[in-house]
Amino acid sequence: MPTRLAGVAILVALWFFAGALPAHGQAGDATAGKAVYERKCLECHGEKGDGKGPAAELLAPRPRDFTAGLYKIRTTANKVPTDQDLFRIITDGMPGTSMPSWAVLPERDRWNLVAYIKSFAADKFKEAPKQLELPKEVASSAESIKRGKEMFEAIECHKCHGTEGRADGPSRSELKDEWGHPIPPANLTKRWTFRGGSSRTEIATRLANGVLGTPMPAFLDSVEKPEDIWHLTNFILSLGPESPHYATLISVTATTAAIPDDPNAELWKNLTSSNVPLMGQVIVDPRNFNPAIDLVAVRAMYNDKEIAFHLTWDDPTQSADEAAKKLVADGISLQFPPQIAAGTERPYFLMGDASDAVYLLRWENAKGVTEATANGPTKIVPIQGGEATAKAVYANGQYRLVIKRPLVSKDASRPTFVPAVFMPVAFQAWDGGAGEGGTKMSLTSWYYLRLEEPQSNRRFVIPPVVAILTLAVMLLVVRVANRRA
Amino acid sequence: MRKVIGAFLAIALVAGVAVVAHGPGPAGAQGGGTIEASVTYAGAPVVEKLKVNKDTEKCGTEAVIEKVVVGANKGLANAVVSVPGAKGAAKAVKATVDQHGCKFVPHVTAMTPGELDLKNSDDILHNIHTYSTANPSINKAQPKFKKVMTEKFEKPEIIKLTCDVHSWMLGWVAVMPNPFFGVTDANGVTKIDNVPAGKYTVEAWHETLGKQTKDVEVKAGQATKVAFEMKK
Repeated sequence: MPTRLAGVAILVALWFFAGALPAHGQAGDATAGKAVYERKCLECHGEKGDGKGPAAELLAPRPRDFTAGLYKIRTTANKVPTDQDLFRIITDGMPGTSMPSWAVLPERDRWNLVAYIKSFAADKFKEAPKQLELPKEVASSAESIKRGKEMFEAIECHKCHGTEGRADGPSRSELKDEWGHPIPPANLTKRWTFRGGSSRTEIATRLANGVLGTPMPAFLDSVEKPEDIWHLTNFILSLGPESPHYATLISVTATTAAIPDDPNAELWKNLTSSNVPLMGQVIVDPRNFNPAIDLVAVRAMYNDKEIAFHLTWDDPTQSADEAAKKLVADGISLQFPPQIAAGTERPYFLMGDASDAVYLLRWENAKGVTEATANGPTKIVPIQGGEATAKAVYANGQYRLVIKRPLVSKDASRPTFVPAVFMPVAFQAWDGGAGEGGTKMSLTSWYYLRLEEPQSNRRFVIPPVVAILTLAVMLLVVRVANRRA
Repeated sequence: MRKVIGAFLAIALVAGVAVVAHGPGPAGAQGGGTIEASVTYAGAPVVEKLKVNKDTEKCGTEAVIEKVVVGANKGLANAVVSVPGAKGAAKAVKATVDQHGCKFVPHVTAMTPGELDLKNSDDILHNIHTYSTANPSINKAQPKFKKVMTEKFEKPEIIKLTCDVHSWMLGWVAVMPNPFFGVTDANGVTKIDNVPAGKYTVEAWHETLGKQTKDVEVKAGQATKVAFEMKK
């Protein structure tokens, strides 16, 4: 009898849990989903689900128009995504877009949203989703990556994605989505921005069945052999790191050698970079809601005479000042307080203000570097007798730039760099080809820079001395102990 | 003797069938008539030009986008003339579109529901990107080694063909419910043969100038003329 009771209890418990936990892909309740939609989704996707919510104008890419029933990210061979596909995007969001993760919502709410979103294009969902079958997986190897590169060239991925994958291909400016909005190709070296995720299977799926509503076509039937999908995936994974590993501190390496001007010099390549994320400037009009430059990789060195900054950033379009085309030059700037003040007080990060100025090392394409004092983003005054020099190279959608300056400053308008002191630094960048210039920039808040202390020869002397002393003490202890015994 | 007569009859029959099958010419076969359509446009041709920044050895340095092509006597090319109400079997010949010189050739292809061969004779990457509602739209890459791709269009509709790699490339595939259609030539003229006798509404469609209809009566063995004057 007790066993029977326990059995019933287990059954009841199972039934209870089965009811509480939604099964995979289980149909949600569209009416309940509508209530959640109106609270959480309407601002961007619009009341009618047409992607024309009040915030839509400011977003790039634009919010999805659910009435078209066309979804970028799907694991199916036909146009219809699975419920799980929609659920995953709601849950994880879309990197590189304004679509956040909604994992904060209860799972039930997210399934209900799936049901409601589908109701905007009910006729499109009459067709059953057909699961895509990927070719047999090929593990990554040097050989596979080589084959992937060959295929990358043969199927001309570079036409949009660029030779090195930095979204700088010649077709870039012509690309439009199904709604006629310009759409940039993915930067294959930054896979953390891939809309549909950066795992091997996700990348292979995008290659195989394309990205619906965008120019990205399906390649499953358009590679030489089916497994080429995996070779391509392995090659794409080899183009960049898994994540940007954003830095918190920029370390300036001490050297006794002459610092090379050439951004491609070996000495620079041997330094690891500190990757700094940039955001759009949205404080002062005109604002930049969709910044083009999202990362700058910083390397820095100093010797007894000068300090040099090596900056690397992706920009798919090289542009100089061109009034006829209303183009402003590409540019980047480093910002420092004019003097290192004691305490934590720093000038206003957005290029200073009326009371506290900042010092800028500004570089503009085709113009070169200037030293300037700024009291705000529109009040930039070049410093007379600038001593900075710069050399830049541009190749395959990327700038590499070296800016040099004497370590010690001549006047109070520019800082002197001192070893072992935490020095505030900030960055601003402009992509002229994307229509940026002036206050339309991407920027950082204050970061810290620290010049390593010069390495002295003491490091070769002190550790051996400590080691010998320790050994001596140990021997002494052993001897004393032996004597006592 | 009977055998000889039998053989004679057989030969005569075969010959007779052969004569009927070859027919007395397109007009009038199986009691059908011909529609001779002309489409004119009084306005100026619309041609957009674009500087080409890639594949210039295949595409040339300047892309010419011919939106409205007007020939002699105001004849409008690339208009599809069709007889939607007529009944007839699908065409047996598979339609073909070539991507040649970074253009869809022909610019407008008309076909009955079925398969379409998409050729790539350019030796560079193109992608077939279709815009359609009745048929599933396609976006498939066609790299240089993929010389022919075959796609199915089962439902009648007019489908836009584009290539995202070369944004100026534009073509149209008109999937028609029956084989009674024609695409106007450089002089704005086309001929539809073997239309079963009867009263029909003839339709003319142009990619930028829209659609027009005209009522005609097709008589067996006769040519019926129909003239469309497209307006903006």
